[in-house]
Amino acid sequence: MSAVHVAGVSKIFNQGTPKQVDALVDVNLTVEPGEFVSLIGPSGCGKSTLLRLIANLLEPTTGVVRVNEKTAAQSRLDQDYGMAFQQAGLFDWRSVAKNIELPLELKGWDKEKRAARAQEMLELVKLPEFADLMPWQLSGGMQQRIAIARALAAHPPLLLMDEPFGALDEMTREYMQGELLRICAETKTTVVFVTHSIPEAVYLSDRVVVMSPRPGRITEVIDVNLGENRSEDTRAADNFFAGITAVREALRGTHADHANAGAIRGVEDR
Amino acid sequence: MTLANRLRNIAVPFVFGVAFLAFWEGAVKFFKLKPYFLAPPSKIISNFFSNASRIWDAASVSGMNALVGLIAGTVFGVAMSFILSRFRFLNSLITPLAIALNAVPIFVLVAVLNNMYSITSEIPRRIMVSLVVYFIVLVNVAKGLTQVKTTHLEIMRSYAASDIEILRKVRVPNAVPYLFTALKISAPAAVITSFVSEYFGGSQNGLGSRITSNIANSKNAAAWAYVLGACLLGLVFYIVSVVLENVASRGGGATDNTNK
Ligand SMILES: Nc1ncnc2c1ncn2[C@@H]1O[C@H](COP(=O)(O)OP(=O)(O)O)[C@@H](O)[C@H]1O
Ligand SMILES: [Mg+2]
Repeated sequence: MSAVHVAGVSKIFNQGTPKQVDALVDVNLTVEPGEFVSLIGPSGCGKSTLLRLIANLLEPTTGVVRVNEKTAAQSRLDQDYGMAFQQAGLFDWRSVAKNIELPLELKGWDKEKRAARAQEMLELVKLPEFADLMPWQLSGGMQQRIAIARALAAHPPLLLMDEPFGALDEMTREYMQGELLRICAETKTTVVFVTHSIPEAVYLSDRVVVMSPRPGRITEVIDVNLGENRSEDTRAADNFFAGITAVREALRGTHADHANAGAIRGVEDR
Repeated sequence: MTLANRLRNIAVPFVFGVAFLAFWEGAVKFFKLKPYFLAPPSKIISNFFSNASRIWDAASVSGMNALVGLIAGTVFGVAMSFILSRFRFLNSLITPLAIALNAVPIFVLVAVLNNMYSITSEIPRRIMVSLVVYFIVLVNVAKGLTQVKTTHLEIMRSYAASDIEILRKVRVPNAVPYLFTALKISAPAAVITSFVSEYFGGSQNGLGSRITSNIANSKNAAAWAYVLGACLLGLVFYIVSVVLENVASRGGGATDNTNK
């Protein structure tokens, strides 16, 4: 039983035209239930494309994508995953609670059940008294927490996140990383997490998937399990720095293979 | 805003207006201007009150034309924008045309419409107002229905939402502020079109036609009294549109009534 299974997948945009882009070639990846996997690599290496293939927002050119032992299309219809993006993407015309209730509305839940679950989710993200506020009344970090609450409202087994903390300042970002780990541990959610921050990937992940561009592909998968009880102290621990070094080496390696590429563009080294 | 600030905001234009009227009155007296050339404000105002019931009647005719046209144009504009947002091809065909039409004075069409109906009919003027409003509403609401954030669409698709659900929960609420913007632009345009379309024949019962006939008869003060009536009617429509806009923007957007 795997949460995500990607086999022999390639994605070519605008095939056969001058604008053809080989966004992904021959990608294989299996994510086990409860695992936290990050995708890292320079801009344009196909991280978002891979995530959208898993989400069935895109169809692969070749290969198969299975989620929860079903086709990606079937798991989307079954709402087997929740999704969060760099923009929180809250609906301005809905209160915070109504935003969280949206996936439940689409599942046809009745009003009382929706309201109860929204409150439960607000407590999970530690914003219990914010139900009736409008999204624009919240800070960026709070909006992102509401977006996570919305993504998890239907208790999906899988959470797909595309640089969700990319627009936040460093302090908020580290706080959110801790919160995300706590929430995923409490709800036993599997996560596929796109980032271009090396420390973020290492701190959060069981495994870091290193990708490289032109054509987009997976070059290395690094085990960096820092254990169950990660805390702020973990950020100063030796095995944290060892993980960072390993990922950095892997990113360099991908570029050494393609000697013409210079520095690792688009990857934050902080 | 403090009360003092608010008072000052009202007081400054008020004092300026009174000073301007005093200057006008003084200039007419001082240069001994002939009454058919320029009437003094005092005469215009006394004329306004002595003719109040006739001005009211004329304002009702013009106002009703503007209102009926505003409502009809909005209804058809909203309906058409839904059809356009459904069919991309139609949209790319009609939107540029509608934008182009907004830039030309299409109210001259009323002359053609007048030929199609009886001489006493108000229908040509109402059609004319509807047309002007229709294009403004169409362009704006169609924009609101189609220019939806990509993230919002991806989130809806990740929840396996159908096109109808996306329409109800994303496109329509997104278009509501656009509709109010369109109404804010349309309301003054409707009154102006209603006045102007009276200059192209038809019965002589509205404010626009009364202004022309009084000028033709050298009744300068009476003409100005009707102009004052026209200003007041325009102001009413403008205030209504500003109120609508405020209602719409309260709480940062529309309220969601889609799932009660
Ligand atoms: N819809 C699309 N049409 C054409 N090219 C695309 C599309 N989406 C992504 N690409 C291209 O595919 C490559 C990978 O993009 P993406 O997955 O967004 O990279 P990343 O998220 O790693 O920065 C890029 O070269 C990008 O320009
Ligand atoms: Mg991306």
